[in-house]
Amino acid sequence: MEQDAERSATTVASTSQGSKLDPIARVRKLLFRQMLVGIKDGRFFLGNFHCIDKQGNIILQDTVEYRSIRRSSPSPTEQRCLGMILIPSSCRTSCHVDCSIEEQLSLIQLKE
Amino acid sequence: MQKEESSSIHNESTNDSIPSGANSVWADVSPLLSASCSDLHEGELIHGDNFNLFAAMSALEIMDPKMDSGMVSAFYSIDEAIESGFAPVPISSDRTVNVESIIDIMDHLLVCEATWHMGHSLAQTVFSCIYVLRPERTSSQALLHSYCRVIRATCRAVVSVVSDARTNEEDDLLTMTYGLPFNGDEDAKGLSLLNAVEETICRQLRACKATSSKRRLLEELEPLQTNPHLEESFCKALLCRIRFRKHFLHTLNCMRRPQGRGFELARKHIASCISELDYVLESAEFLRLDLVENGENEIEERTTASGRHPIGFDSTLNKRLSAPTPPRAIKLLSWKKALGYYVKLLHNLDEICGFSLEPDLDFVLQFVIQFQKSRPDLVSRAHLQLLLVQDGKLFGRDTFLAICARGFGLDVTKDHALQKNEYILQLSQLMINLLKILCANAPWQRRKLGKILNDWSIFRVQMGITVGQAMQQDTSRTPKNGDKSLFILNHIYGWLEEQISWVALRFLMLGFDLELYSPSEYCMVYWYMYIILWKLAEKARFRVLIIVNTEERKAKKNKDYHRDMAREDRISLWVLLLQCQISLSQGLTVMLSALRNQGMCLKSQGPFNTESEKFAQHFELLQKASLPEYDAYESFTESTSHTRLDYLPVYEYFRDAQKIAKDIKVGFANDPDKLAEVRALEQVAEHNIIAVNLISQDCSLKVSFEFTHHPYFASAVVRRS
Repeated sequence: MEQDAERSATTVASTSQGSKLDPIARVRKLLFRQMLVGIKDGRFFLGNFHCIDKQGNIILQDTVEYRSIRRSSPSPTEQRCLGMILIPSSCRTSCHVDCSIEEQLSLIQLKE
Repeated sequence: MQKEESSSIHNESTNDSIPSGANSVWADVSPLLSASCSDLHEGELIHGDNFNLFAAMSALEIMDPKMDSGMVSAFYSIDEAIESGFAPVPISSDRTVNVESIIDIMDHLLVCEATWHMGHSLAQTVFSCIYVLRPERTSSQALLHSYCRVIRATCRAVVSVVSDARTNEEDDLLTMTYGLPFNGDEDAKGLSLLNAVEETICRQLRACKATSSKRRLLEELEPLQTNPHLEESFCKALLCRIRFRKHFLHTLNCMRRPQGRGFELARKHIASCISELDYVLESAEFLRLDLVENGENEIEERTTASGRHPIGFDSTLNKRLSAPTPPRAIKLLSWKKALGYYVKLLHNLDEICGFSLEPDLDFVLQFVIQFQKSRPDLVSRAHLQLLLVQDGKLFGRDTFLAICARGFGLDVTKDHALQKNEYILQLSQLMINLLKILCANAPWQRRKLGKILNDWSIFRVQMGITVGQAMQQDTSRTPKNGDKSLFILNHIYGWLEEQISWVALRFLMLGFDLELYSPSEYCMVYWYMYIILWKLAEKARFRVLIIVNTEERKAKKNKDYHRDMAREDRISLWVLLLQCQISLSQGLTVMLSALRNQGMCLKSQGPFNTESEKFAQHFELLQKASLPEYDAYESFTESTSHTRLDYLPVYEYFRDAQKIAKDIKVGFANDPDKLAEVRALEQVAEHNIIAVNLISQDCSLKVSFEFTHHPYFASAVVRRS
């Protein structure tokens, strides 16, 4: 699991550098996918990617909020449903998309 | 670069707890997103086909303090707060600091509870205290522990009263407990624990007062704190706080006993509560001694007697419990205001407990109206409603049929068939609704009264048809054959009109309380009040005749029978009071319309609404209920378009009102509330007589209207321009 995560992180990073495909078109392909956004105060939001604007503000639908019970990690998490939320780019610290490995590889091949 | 590092750290921790889908991974898309954002044009969005800007506007904005209730503030969770030593047990190893802190917590909890009663959420007020949230932690500290348990038990009792009564409006948060820990069994023990603590402190106090020889005997008692000179004051400060809690919970429990059986005892507890509150207030002087003064104003805003900030409270801890609604800002009352709130609440509760429980509808309605005059808060209104309607009966005791029949001197206890009559069942339901509505707050009450008017008038029409047909078939019209059912139904049908007019009048008068009428609309309001009052008085007079008739018949049958003169007299007196109000409304209508016709008062003209539209907006609900049955607006314009100032003194309406008021004052000698009402009406009349004389002579005067003497009947104020 951890290995997968590392690999995917490096592959996406490399493709974004060398890719000539329009980034807007590629982001458009991410719409409706499960997106995991981390914010400054340590919470994570998991929801369907609904919209993004020029400033980088993201709207997620059917979102679930995850938060640690304690500041020190690792700690158990609490969750609750929030529905539609807007995450301002200023408080976003990370952003991940749920991707199958095969799909991601094919995406990379296409781009290169 | 730093950002990426931090995101990779988060990545690890998320992958531990939030799994991606099967055979899939979390891929970091931050770089891709930032690349696409820089390519986007200003105002451009990336979105799917189902995107709707309007719907997107309603998204909760994360990290906006007004929308995001989940924002992590001081602590991630209650456990973390406890671990960080935010609410230590014991609060301090220094015994003096410990006692002082407990008193602060008690004071702050009182403030929290009052703020909760006033409409804030329980989670953010009382349950912002970690000691209340986790009482099991303090079990070694009897004083704090028992106090917190009793607070929880009290909250439970209040939630139960308000949710049973359903006097709360959709906006009230009082009954929302958000799954907060209410442990009934454990909390119920709180009262006995608190009693034991009270006993110990009492002994402590006696020990302080005892002479030195006796003191040696009592030495085994551990003092509350280290300074022996302060011991007595600390004991007193604690005792009044503990006793208030105890008596307050007892009051609430006594008042819940069915049919008002616990009222007598409740009144004793209420009296104790009020006197303990006085001691609580007095104790502030001592508690504030060691505090450096930061100016009076700041002290006034504080939530404790000492002025210190209490330990163990964080209103953000439970904020997420009210999710996903936006968080509400909590503004706690000050300690002084909270004490004031309790005094008012206790007086209101005492008023309820002091009600005679007379099974007479006129009495009950008059009591509710009088009670509502002090604008009581939700908790006391809930208690009143639970008293009035229990198990579908008045006071849980008298059926509404019996109550209505008693209104015209009839006894229906033997008439069992009538109890199941379809109309009587419906009538009971209407009465229950009406009483419940009368216990609501003024705006809600007015809206609901307007709506039920229609139900009542439909019911009256239906009942009229049925009763009319039955009466035609049974031409005897007298209860010779022993079956009085039809006879009673016919009377109730007649009484319905009186009751509908009463509701309509209450509806109109509440408009003054809520300041819904502008001065340019007073004319139409008084005209309408005149119409309704007239109808009400006519029907009430008719009821007096029925009562006289019934009583005379009873007296003829049974020579020893004592006629119930009291009821006759009471209603006759009430009719005269109505007559006085009729004259005043009439006088005001004429005066206002004359002023309007001659341009001395603002005409009801605005850029948006014509007069007829305003008329419809104010009285639509009354007209729907056929009050009156003819075209009201047409009648209003006809009757008011020709009034002239110079004729004003000729109409002697105000003089009539003054005369009636003078006459009936004697009759109300034993009823201070009614007497005050009559005096106010008399003053309005006197004042307006003078005003009429002045303005009929000089058209250049400026006239305005004020409610200085009576809340519903205006007094004209005349000024030289």
